[in-house]
Amino acid sequence: MKPKEKQPSGRDAKKVTSHEKEISDNIINHSRSMISVINKDYIYEKVNLAFCNAHNITIDQIVGKSLADIWGTQTFYDFIKNNIDRCFSGETIKYEASFETPGYGVRYFEVTFRPLNIEGNGITYLLAETFDIHDTKQREIEIREKEQELKKLATNLPIGIVRCLPDGSIIHANRAFLDIMDCYDENSIKKANFRSFYPQDFLFDIQCEQLLEKHIVNFGRVSLHDCIGKEISCRISGFLAFDSTSTNSFLDFVVEDATRELMLENRLIQAQKLETIGALAGGIAHDFNNILTTISGYSELIMEDLPQNSEISEKVSKIQGAVLRAKSITNQILTFSRQVEQDKIAVSVGEVLSETMGFIKSSIPSNIVVQSKFFQNDVKVLADPTQLFRVFINLMTNAIQAMEEHGGTLSVTMEVIEGKLVKNQLNKDIVADEYVFITFKDTGKGMEPSVLSRIFEPFFTTREIGKGTGLGLSVTYGIISEMEGEILVSSKREEGSEFFVYLPVARQYIVNEIFTGPKKKILFIAGNKHESRMLSMALENTGFDLLYVSDRQGFVKAFSSGENNPDLIIYMTESGQVKPEDFMNIYLQNKADAPCIIITNQNCSIFEEKLLNSGIVKQHLVKPVSLKEIKSAIQLSV
Amino acid sequence: MPRVLVIEDEIELREMIKTSLIRRKYTVLEAANGKDALSHFKPSMTDLVVTDLIMPEEDGLKVIMKLKELKPSLKIIAISGGGKAGPGGYLNLAKALGAHAVLSKPFSINDLISKIEELLSPEQEN
Repeated sequence: MKPKEKQPSGRDAKKVTSHEKEISDNIINHSRSMISVINKDYIYEKVNLAFCNAHNITIDQIVGKSLADIWGTQTFYDFIKNNIDRCFSGETIKYEASFETPGYGVRYFEVTFRPLNIEGNGITYLLAETFDIHDTKQREIEIREKEQELKKLATNLPIGIVRCLPDGSIIHANRAFLDIMDCYDENSIKKANFRSFYPQDFLFDIQCEQLLEKHIVNFGRVSLHDCIGKEISCRISGFLAFDSTSTNSFLDFVVEDATRELMLENRLIQAQKLETIGALAGGIAHDFNNILTTISGYSELIMEDLPQNSEISEKVSKIQGAVLRAKSITNQILTFSRQVEQDKIAVSVGEVLSETMGFIKSSIPSNIVVQSKFFQNDVKVLADPTQLFRVFINLMTNAIQAMEEHGGTLSVTMEVIEGKLVKNQLNKDIVADEYVFITFKDTGKGMEPSVLSRIFEPFFTTREIGKGTGLGLSVTYGIISEMEGEILVSSKREEGSEFFVYLPVARQYIVNEIFTGPKKKILFIAGNKHESRMLSMALENTGFDLLYVSDRQGFVKAFSSGENNPDLIIYMTESGQVKPEDFMNIYLQNKADAPCIIITNQNCSIFEEKLLNSGIVKQHLVKPVSLKEIKSAIQLSV
Repeated sequence: MPRVLVIEDEIELREMIKTSLIRRKYTVLEAANGKDALSHFKPSMTDLVVTDLIMPEEDGLKVIMKLKELKPSLKIIAISGGGKAGPGGYLNLAKALGAHAVLSKPFSINDLISKIEELLSPEQEN
């Protein structure tokens, strides 16, 4: 229409033919951009077809109208007027904006205002070109959102991602990597070299070489050092990447924390190893028990042929003593390999733990402090109380021995935790909704990892030969496993060790097997009330009245009231105040006829052996004794 | 005199039990394993059985079940020195299957004999 407008400067203006005008009109009208010419009064002088179509009106309805009419006063003043004014002062303005268009809703446009200087009369009009960029813009937004999402994923995943240059200098590391490496300073990591996380430089160089050759390499588990210098096991894969021009290469590493994986794997190996040793040792113990029965049987037969107190009978009784000691060892092996039947009743863990602590406290050196914190006290587990006592005694004795030289503190805690928690922590099938969680922590000399990994193996001991059989912790392990519990240990050299015991809380209480017949009276002689309490706990509800005495007078008194004579006497020889010779004298003086069960340590004293040969003793048990052993000894005796 | 069948694969142990029982005037029959015991078992000739539990050929628990079928009034004592722990333990299972008494090895031979005497005493025989 006005071809002159197409010539910005107007210097080479020439007559335009109607043919040329038609062509130019066609070009303008078929442009996908909305094109308009606006005068200084913000009035549309001219618009193209695209403009009309976008607004769904005819050319006549627009030409002569103001921009405020078409776009609304608000939009005009807020977004348009200022740009138009700037354009009239000679600037070409280009901006992106979103406008409401009839029929299409809000869409994105790219708007260009170009000043028109027609025939050198200054800027009297401007050419507005508005291009619909809605689809492009929409795609751009989508891409940006996706990018954000990916970034978030990379940041929030518990998998560390690191990009570095072939020399190891880190270009980028995600949040997870910082977390795994215990690094709280994001900026320092960017200055760091990935190589510095490796315990030795050459390990990184080897991985680098492999990556450059193979492009993708799974390095498996690698031991790294975190930001505070702690060793951490990580699973690492590497990828060789290039920038868009393929000239610069990067090394991308995916780093996963493998600590838990390693821990679970070690525990599994450990458990399998102990099971194998258990099966092997259990088999040997079984054969040994056969042999021991033969030895003890023949020695009993020889005893029958000999006059009492003869020289030979004393020697034979030594054989019998040795058999009992051997039996105690095979019994401990069988306990470790879970081949000893335990008589279980519902026992209060707090009570047994308190008794054990009382027992321990009476014999510890003054430079060792025992402290305890029980968060719950009245929780029961299914156990043989004497076995549970052994577990606690073993763990506490070990702790105290570790602190013998320099003293220290043994802390015992007990609380009830949810089964779910145990499942997560130990990755094992749970058998109860709740578990008792007991910890024993000492500040002793601690253990080397090589000792720690073998600590539950039978006959493994760090003590000198002859001091301890090396069965204590194996038995502890066996008893806890038999209770479907779990025992873990952690230790650091010179800092101390901590044992963690998990025991399933008893869901239903098994009532003690009740002995039939009239209530029998048992006189229990032991120097330590803790041990007697354990026994009374075990024999609760079993149809026995337990009378406990700890000294000579008490023992004498027990016979003084004639009709109340005991039906059975259980004598723990290590009772301090009642010596074996005293026991024998008092027993004989009172013409007592109650059968006696004697419980001794593994090695008998001369007096103990005399007592054993005297004919008073019906049953001889060697420590440690289980509830089952005591019960069957009682049954055989009364 | 009462007749006691001793089933035990460990020969020295079997000999020892046999010697002790003969000394107490019992008639002793012996078998080295469960299979032998079952194939030679004569109900009218046996009053009590002492059987080991873990044996080659036929294990003790099966022997107890079969003996019970052949002679329901038979008295049985099970002896064992190993086996599984817990409520499913061998000695407990033996008890559940009808053993009148159980002894875990190593046991005192006098304990075994008092068990035998107790089980064969007239008041037990009804």
